[in-house]
Order: sequence, then C-alpha cells, then structure tokens
Amino acid sequence: MNTFMRWAGCFVVLFIAAPLVIVVPMSFSNASSLQFPPPGYWLGYYRSYFTDMDWLIPTWNSILIASATTILTMALVVPATFALVRHKFRGKGFADLMMLMPMAVPHIVMAVGYYSYFGELKLVHTHLGVILAHTCLSVPIAFLVLSANLKGFDRNLERAAQSLGASPTQTFLHVTLPILRPGLIISSLFAFIQSFDETVVAIFISGRDAETLPRKMFDSIRQEADPVIAVISTLLFFLVMIGIAAPYFASALRSRVPKPSRPASVAY
Amino acid sequence: MTSYLELSNITKTYGHFTALENVSLSVDKGEFVTFLGPSGSGKTTTLMIIAGFEKATGGTVKVGGLSISELAPHQRNIGIVFQNYALFPHRSAVENVYFPLQMRGVSRAKGMKQAEDMLSLVGLKGFGHRHPKELSGGQQQRVALARALVFEPSLLLLDEPLGALDKNLREQMQIEIKRIQRSLGVTTIFVTHDQSEAMSMSDRIVVFERGRIEQAAAPLDIYHRPQTSFVASFIGESNLIPATICCAGNKTAKSLALGSVDYAGADNVLLDGQEVTLLIRPEHIKLSRNPVDGRRNAFMTVETIVNYGDNALVIGRAGDIPLRVRVLGADVVIIKEGEECCVSWTPDSVFVITK
Repeated sequence: MNTFMRWAGCFVVLFIAAPLVIVVPMSFSNASSLQFPPPGYWLGYYRSYFTDMDWLIPTWNSILIASATTILTMALVVPATFALVRHKFRGKGFADLMMLMPMAVPHIVMAVGYYSYFGELKLVHTHLGVILAHTCLSVPIAFLVLSANLKGFDRNLERAAQSLGASPTQTFLHVTLPILRPGLIISSLFAFIQSFDETVVAIFISGRDAETLPRKMFDSIRQEADPVIAVISTLLFFLVMIGIAAPYFASALRSRVPKPSRPASVAY
Repeated sequence: MTSYLELSNITKTYGHFTALENVSLSVDKGEFVTFLGPSGSGKTTTLMIIAGFEKATGGTVKVGGLSISELAPHQRNIGIVFQNYALFPHRSAVENVYFPLQMRGVSRAKGMKQAEDMLSLVGLKGFGHRHPKELSGGQQQRVALARALVFEPSLLLLDEPLGALDKNLREQMQIEIKRIQRSLGVTTIFVTHDQSEAMSMSDRIVVFERGRIEQAAAPLDIYHRPQTSFVASFIGESNLIPATICCAGNKTAKSLALGSVDYAGADNVLLDGQEVTLLIRPEHIKLSRNPVDGRRNAFMTVETIVNYGDNALVIGRAGDIPLRVRVLGADVVIIKEGEECCVSWTPDSVFVITK
C-alpha cells in the first residue's frame, strides 16, 4: 500500500471516529455550553446528570420503554418467524413483506401516522403509545436476525431429539431453544437498541409524560446546549464499548481454564 | 423364528406421485438389513416411515408383534444415525450420549456413567468432554452411533451414515459399525446407495426401485441370482444379453449377438420361445486369442482397455451387443485395442433373468 493511500485511510478513520471521541473531553468540560476544546475540566456535569430529575426521568422512561418494546417484539417475532420460515401457506409472501414494511417506510412518515392515529386512540403522550410504535419499528429488525438464524437451523437436530425420546415440548426446550439462543439474544438486543435510540417517533408522540432520553437530548441541544448531553453520550459510548468487548473478555477468561489433557488413545 | 420388524403393504403417495407402493418386508431380530437403491427409489421414505417422521398413506409397521404406526417418533424407541450425524452442538459428546437417558428420567450421575461406557464401546474413551465441532467426522459418527444405541433401542436405523466420510475412513467405519452391531445384537436397517457397502455389511439386501422392492435376499444371492435386470445392473458390473429360450430341455438360449448360449439353471420355469435376459458377470468371461475347446465361444472386437493395475476392464462389442470383460492385470498384454479376440464362458456363469 502506498503512502498516500495510507494517509487517506487514516484521515477517513479520523473523520468518522472524531465525533465519537470528541464528546469525551467535552463531558468533563467546565464551559456552560457545549464547547471544544474545553476551557477547563471538572466533573460537575456528571453530578448534575445523576442528580437532576429532568435527566433521570427520561433515562428511566427510555429503559422502561425499550425493555417493554423488547419483550413485546420477541413475543410477536418468535412465533411469527417459526411460522414464516418453517411453513408454507397462502399469503406467505405478503406476510413476509408486511413484516419488513416498517423498515422501508421513512420514520417521519410513520411518526406522522402514529401522531394522528394514536391521537384518536388517546395513546399519544403515553408510555403504551411509544411502546407500541417502537415495537412496530423493532419487529422487522428482530425478524431479520432471527429468521437468518432459523433458516440455518438443521431440522435433523429436532428429528434426532425426537427419535431419542424427547417429546415436542422437550425438543423445543432442550434442543431448539438452546441452539437458537445466540440469535434470540442478538435480535432482542437489536430490538432494545432500536427503541432506546429512536428519536423521530419519540419526538412526535412521547410528549412530556413519556419523554425518552433521545427526545430530551434533542430538546436540550436546541434550547440550551447543556453539556450534560456530552455526559450522556460519553456514558452510552462506553456502555456500548463494554457491550462489544464483553464477549471477547468472556472467551479469553474461558480459554484460561485448563482443559483436561489430551488422551493418548487414538480414535479415527 | 417369527419376524421382529414387519412392514405390511406400506404405501406412500404425495398428491399424484406414488413414492412407495405395497412395500412388505419381514426382518428377524438381530438382523442387519440394507436398503439399497438409487436416489428417489423410496428407501429413505421407508426409513422415515419406520422412524415415524413420515406417515404412510396405507399399511402398517409392527415391531415385536405390536403396531407402531400410530405412535409419535419419540414414543417408538428407535435409534437413528443421520447422514450429517445431527449431534447437538451445545452439548459435549458425553452429554449428547446422555440425552436419550435424560429424556427417560435417568439420573445425571448414573446416565453420564452409562454414556461414558457407551463411548468406550465405540472407541471414544476419554473424548467425552469435547464438543462436536472439536471432533473429526469419524469421531462425530461414533458419537452419533453411541447416542443412538445407549438407550437399548428396539431398532437401529442408519441413514447413509458413511456418505460424508472419505474412502479409507468409510471402510474402517463399515467394519466398526458391523462389530458394534454384532456385539449388541441390535436389529439394524442401513440405508445406502453404495452397493459395495451393502455387499460387505449386510445379512440381507433389499433393493428398491421406483417405490417398490425389486428383490430382498442375502448379498451373494443378490449378486449371483438377481431376479430382475435392474438388480443385475445395479449391483456389480454386468453383461445383460437379450435372448430367446430355444430349447428349455437342453438348457439352451439363442442370442442374436452370441449365437447359442447354454445355461446351467434358472430360478423360474422356462418355456421354449420365451424372451429372457442372460446375465454374465465380466469376471466370468474368459478372453483368449483363439477359441477354447469345450466352451461356447464368441468373437468380440476390443474397443477400450482400462487398466487398474491388478486387473483390467476390457470393453468391446460382440455383434451389436456391448460386452465388458474383467481380466487379471497380467493377462491383458495378449490383446490390443481394435483387435478381434475370443470370449468364452461356462454354462454355470450364465444366469437367466425372466423380468
């Protein structure tokens, strides 16, 4: 690789990564609004985040809504995926399409739709309204992840379990579920993150009562550019980093546990 | 001895397609029976009906005198080894083998001990803690076998279990499976499309073709006394020569290509003028430069010689009939491609097929 390409590559990486990293020093800043480089450093904005109810309530709302969205999404997606992947029926193609529709329609269109429709149902400005709307947006993501997993699932494993004496319920609990566990975890994680991160629909329908963290951050940056935003961004950034790194640490720890030595006997 | 596994008039249709038609078969306790046939011949469908994964359109399956047709797969107590082994990836080898015992309510301590013992029997002592992906193909095969046998099933079904292994390993596993099957005395159905596997392992071979049983007999009977042209051509190499019985009293048939051919016997009553097919195996034909006294001789034009070292296959034509002759490697030097030579055989090596 020539030098120019290398420098170009570094520049692109820097350009993409800079906004991620720039919030970290800004969160320790003592400026009264977002400012870079910071004039001085202190931890005051961390204290105000963890003590100010104006921030803690939206955080709690977001966690609550994302958790409920995840549970509702999985309750819908797991049976739907089994039906759509394993069975043939009339209208299957249409059902497949409808599952993925919320991903294709722009969020702003969905948001306007929810605003007027949920208004009629008295669901605007309620937790339930946001949960339902977010579930709708999470379903296609969870479905895509889980159906890819289920398509790769070897059905002979279930047949083997049955031939070995497992009833259909036992087969599901002892074989199907444990083997699909990684797919289930990842699709619930995506459903959770989708909801936690979602802003457009939240701005339209969450209101003051069910205000989510992204909505609060959006309002705040428009009105006062409170550096607490940098604190939250930093915390979320490190939370995600830990999430990504955790599996590596876990496997590194596991491989340090000594395994029983290789037996001398030879088998083919 | 009364039969142990009994299939009576099993029929399976998918819409207008008939996958199996009146398949009936009796298998003795402890017998090793191979279902042999090309793909789509119905052998795997039959196996799946015995296992309970497919429902027969008609007919019954009995084991030990009791019908199992209405039982769900998990109630049948039948061990199955799948072509891809279907080991549970989230369980170690010994936990895989423990699974059927766990499902039967055996305590973990007792079941794991039993599973370890079964792994020793299949030659995997000390490999129990490994997960399937840490085992070679042959080892996975052994785990699958141990898992299918540990609960003392009433039947063992093997669905092309050696298909994924390379040639050397396949031969080792043939011997292994046979040894384990004998030592446990479990009644076994083995499905394969590999005729040499069927010949070397089975007590009896059942040849399937187009959803029917063509013939069910001991391997050597299948080879030497095939009842249909399909069986003759599917098992081993064969020369099939159309002929007409010209004199049943003298045991002589007439063929356009080879002239008069004497035969030693036939399984059916033959009538003068009957159209038949004569089977002569390539290794029973003798090749010579000049006619051999005391034998029926015919002339063949040699087209291709394929050398295998210890033996050679000579392909030629007698009249309009293609002939294949197996000769020892040392004998092949007497002829060249394009030459004409003599082929001869004894009446003992001619078998008359009426179907």
